[in-house]
Amino acid sequence: MTESTVQVCVLDDVGHINLRGDRHSVDFITAVESVIGQSLPVAANTMSEKEHRVFWIGPDEWLITTVADNTLGLLADLDKKLASHHAAVNDVSGGNIELRLSGKNVRDVLAKGCTLDFHEIVFGPGTCAQSGLAKAAVLFGFVEAPHTFDIIVRRSFSDYLLRWLANAGCEYGIEFR
Amino acid sequence: MFLIQCPWCGERAETEFSYGGEAGIVRPLEPDALSDAEWADYLFNRTNLRGAYKELWNHAQGCRRWFGVERDTVTYKIEGSYELPSGRAGKGA
Amino acid sequence: MQPNRLKQGGRIDRSRALSFRFNGKSYEGYTGDTLASALLANGVSLVSRSFKLHRPRGIVGAGAEEPNAILQIGRGASTLPTQRATQVELYDGLEARSTKGWPSLRFDIAAFNDLVSPLLAAGFYYKTFMRPQALWPWYERFIRAAAGFGLAPREPDPDRYEHRNAHCDVLIAGAGPAGLIAALVAARSGARVIIADEQNEFGGSLLSASQTIDAEPATAWIEATTAELDALDNVTMLTRSTVFGYYDHNFVAIVERCTDHIGEDVAGVRQRLWRVRAKQVVLAQGAFERPLVFCNNDRPGVMLASAVSCYIHRYAVCPGKRAVVFTNNDSAYRTAIDLRAAGASVVIIDSRAEGAGALADAARADGITMLPGHIVTDVSGRRHVSGVRVAQWNGDVTSTVQNTINIDCDLVAVSGGWSPAVHLHSQSGGKNAWSDDLHCFVPAEYAQANVSAGAGNGKWSLQDCLQDGLDAGIEVIARCGIEAADVTLPLAVEVASRPLEPLWRVPAATDPDRCPKQFVDFQIDTSVADIRLAVREGYRNVEHVKRYTALGFGTDQGKLGNINGMAILAECLGEDIASVGTTAFRPAYTPVTFGVGAAENVGDLFEPVRKTAIHASHEAAGAPFEVVGQWHRPWYFPQGDEDLHTSVARECLATRKSVGMMDASTLGKIDARGPDVVEFLRRIYTHDVGKMKVGRCAYGIMLGEDGMVMDDGVIARVAERQFYLTTTTGGAAPVLAWLERWLQTEWPELEVYLTSLTEHYATIVVAGPNSRRVLQDIGCNIDLERDSFAFMSVRDAELAGIAVTLFRVSFSGELAFEINIDSRNALKMWQLVADAGAKFDITPYGTETMHVLRAEKGFVIVGQDTDGSVTPVDLRLQWLLSKDKDFLGKRSLSRTDCVRSDRKQLVGLLSEDGKTVLPEGTQLVDDPGAAIPVPMCGHVTSSYYSACLGRPIAMALVATGHSRRDEIIFASLADGSAVPVRIVSPVFYDPEGERQND
Repeated sequence: MTESTVQVCVLDDVGHINLRGDRHSVDFITAVESVIGQSLPVAANTMSEKEHRVFWIGPDEWLITTVADNTLGLLADLDKKLASHHAAVNDVSGGNIELRLSGKNVRDVLAKGCTLDFHEIVFGPGTCAQSGLAKAAVLFGFVEAPHTFDIIVRRSFSDYLLRWLANAGCEYGIEFR
Repeated sequence: MFLIQCPWCGERAETEFSYGGEAGIVRPLEPDALSDAEWADYLFNRTNLRGAYKELWNHAQGCRRWFGVERDTVTYKIEGSYELPSGRAGKGA
Repeated sequence: MQPNRLKQGGRIDRSRALSFRFNGKSYEGYTGDTLASALLANGVSLVSRSFKLHRPRGIVGAGAEEPNAILQIGRGASTLPTQRATQVELYDGLEARSTKGWPSLRFDIAAFNDLVSPLLAAGFYYKTFMRPQALWPWYERFIRAAAGFGLAPREPDPDRYEHRNAHCDVLIAGAGPAGLIAALVAARSGARVIIADEQNEFGGSLLSASQTIDAEPATAWIEATTAELDALDNVTMLTRSTVFGYYDHNFVAIVERCTDHIGEDVAGVRQRLWRVRAKQVVLAQGAFERPLVFCNNDRPGVMLASAVSCYIHRYAVCPGKRAVVFTNNDSAYRTAIDLRAAGASVVIIDSRAEGAGALADAARADGITMLPGHIVTDVSGRRHVSGVRVAQWNGDVTSTVQNTINIDCDLVAVSGGWSPAVHLHSQSGGKNAWSDDLHCFVPAEYAQANVSAGAGNGKWSLQDCLQDGLDAGIEVIARCGIEAADVTLPLAVEVASRPLEPLWRVPAATDPDRCPKQFVDFQIDTSVADIRLAVREGYRNVEHVKRYTALGFGTDQGKLGNINGMAILAECLGEDIASVGTTAFRPAYTPVTFGVGAAENVGDLFEPVRKTAIHASHEAAGAPFEVVGQWHRPWYFPQGDEDLHTSVARECLATRKSVGMMDASTLGKIDARGPDVVEFLRRIYTHDVGKMKVGRCAYGIMLGEDGMVMDDGVIARVAERQFYLTTTTGGAAPVLAWLERWLQTEWPELEVYLTSLTEHYATIVVAGPNSRRVLQDIGCNIDLERDSFAFMSVRDAELAGIAVTLFRVSFSGELAFEINIDSRNALKMWQLVADAGAKFDITPYGTETMHVLRAEKGFVIVGQDTDGSVTPVDLRLQWLLSKDKDFLGKRSLSRTDCVRSDRKQLVGLLSEDGKTVLPEGTQLVDDPGAAIPVPMCGHVTSSYYSACLGRPIAMALVATGHSRRDEIIFASLADGSAVPVRIVSPVFYDPEGERQND
């Protein structure tokens, strides 16, 4: 029996909010930050983490992940606060599946299916990136040192991706929880 | 496989992108004022240069932004990428 | 009993004997052997038959260059064809077979080809098998049976392969002296380094030599260097790993053979494909020795001098007892000395009048006979060399030789000089230049971020290789912006040498077109006479001569023969080699298995299967799935042993009579909002979105700028400045990218944000006269009656307390509701609908029934009834085209081609016999009796049996179809029959639309 050095957990208590708005607008950023209580990352491939996790996913687009029960409240607060702005707030919780991968060989498994550089000096705290994993488009977020990552994938691809992970991770005794 | 510089996300593998053809093709403001030939020129004709070529790429698996790339069609060397300017002046040129 | 095995020495483990089989016969070798060294140790010299002439062939080389010993390795499903015995590590139980020679290697019937070889000159196949053309399939069968290097297994591949992406500052291809020292400087400097070598251990040529570095055996330096690299975290060392492809932007492919050396049926990954993106690449793959070209130079027992040295040093195998060394340069003198030390008698034939430099003194001291100013002109012996003919060399290649003497021997070690392995440099786009000093092509212009070093860069001496490797390492580190660490240049002892004198071919006793064959490319059987023939027949360009003579077309890509071939071509053309040039090398450097190319992308991981949130329920219901793009959608829901036809008939009737439900979750869904969203959508859709009221839906189409229908769907105005757009299943991603493209490139001044909600919302369609009652019975918080929730309306609501968005739209022509619901609640809602619908016999239906229902109504499916050449006018959708505004594609609709009267237009078709269901794609003709080719007037796009109407219906695109109502045309079936069909309106059912408005 191989010792498990990669663990995968499907997070089921999460809500996802897609936010679009003008990064050049100080008003917009202030309004958002006053609701979420943390910074809105404006640098590419970065994320902010406090009560929620906020991923930069485009120059005018963010993904906010939070506890499932908070989602509708946060959504309503953002809608209200941004009513006078050109912005778009959408609940996308149903569309995404979020996986948490941990263990010392996570980076090795990811390297089998993704062209991103997962070396620790490149992909560390505060980093997120969108790319492809195997044949699915995904969002990677670095969650915790040394090797814990979140992978957010569209719901319809999640079954495929889990099967791909099971295959790619078998040499590391991959476990699903 | 190309290595393409997304102006936002940085250098990424070609598999993350989709191709958008020649950059700088401006949609005529008054299509109805054009002859069939003029409209067809906008619709179909491209410079198809040998050498430095400005083209559009979309970071499909990334930030979903369209941007410009200057690529040599002989050597495939990419000279650089650039954001498309905002406002009507942009035109992807 | 291994007759050619030396008592001591070599990098083999004599305590671990291995048994293996070659062509059914058992032999023994040792751990550390290659298949080639073990065969030679056992005195097996005949290993294959040549490709075209079926001449007996033996092992020539000791590495990737081997042209003859191309064998089939292993058994059953794991077997590998096209393996070079020189690169196959021996394992216990290995089974190898020759891939040429039938019925047996020794009695090859096709060897008759050799006797008629004058008929099989260059271009023979082109000339002979061209006519009569009708016989080609017959010829092909024989050519295919006679050609090829082995068999692919027929069984599914049982082995595991994988891909692995990697990034590094410096990738080093080749771990000989130059590669190792380049790696050392890069690694010590802290760069991320990958160093790969195709052999089982690092060291390259040093493993096959007796040279010293810093006054120690070279192997000590290798061990110290690899130990230091191994201890560093920033270095990845890959043995048994061939860098086989150099692609754009420093993307480099390596195949790592993980378990091939252990045996078959080994657990774990068999081969791994490394996909490396390197900032800098050092190419240090070394050089290949060139053979010399003389009569019968392909006889078993004629080998490369460097290979002979390699077998002696590395594997303790001396392939002969009485050796002749034939050379035009100094390096083969080392082989002569090695052979002498191994106990063989040696004669050196050196074409150079003055012989070698300091090495000649060493050879003389060893008692080696030397004949400077002489050449080997011919070889005797058929299955193995038994002697050579030697003549004095007058320096005139166009002369014929006389007064030859015979020397008996069982081994001829040849050296015609060295050619850098420029393959990867060439693949990278780099240019090679002919060096008149070195008499070889060397890397000249670089196209990418790489540098060549060592013998691969034309550095022949060990000291030069070390210096060149060190320089390369420092160079690439500097280019990476890293400060180079200190590495002291090691010292190797060098002796004074005399330069090579080119000898591209050796004259024979008769002219080169009549003398026994002088082979240039062993694998593909190209001879001097073939190249001369090509030139006589008018070929001058090197690429053309290559194709005519097949020079370099083998799996070895002419690693041995190409340069001699170019030089002989240059001689024939009266030009110098530099102006003849060389052909381009392409990946792969050595053959790569399909298995590692495919890796895990086979079976159920071949293509992603996208599943809707309700998939589990469909699976439980036993529905077969239809693949739509990557989606798996329930096709129909059979009850008992129903087939597609009966199931669909039942589903259709139930929906029309009472109520049906379907999973439409795969439709694309886009939230569009912003101050300019109305203006934006006015430009995108053909109708005037601005006229839509909040809470209302509309059917909308979008066109490409060429005026052709691109996608369609429902548009709902959910707020003043917010719309909800649906697309076709296949259009979900492309339409979003298309909309973003216009926003980002052409109209950046428009303030609109788009967000994909395709996967967030699942969609459940409830359709049929009882659909309203089903929703009411679930418990709906809004009034669903016609007066308050009319056809083509949208409303947020709650069903059983769950938030949904309800659309009163219909793709079936029935009263229908589409429930859009958070995917997480979809399965639950599906069950609620099923339960509430039970008393109405609610019937789940799949994509097939959906298709039939919509076809009965004449609703098109974009991509099925359209193909990118169909305008909205062709579909009779003029009513959707706004005259008051511009929209994408509008101008194209008035182009001459789009207003032609004979365009194919959408019509309905009814088989006159009332029975025939026309196959989709069937061609339509006006007159089936017309002369062949019968002019076609259209084709069937959709066709079904309609249970509601009790007859087949079809939709078709027919030239001028709109004005041909009630005419009879003919459907031309595959069996040659023609079925009369009547052109009708495509709306077969409820043309007034009363049912959906209910």
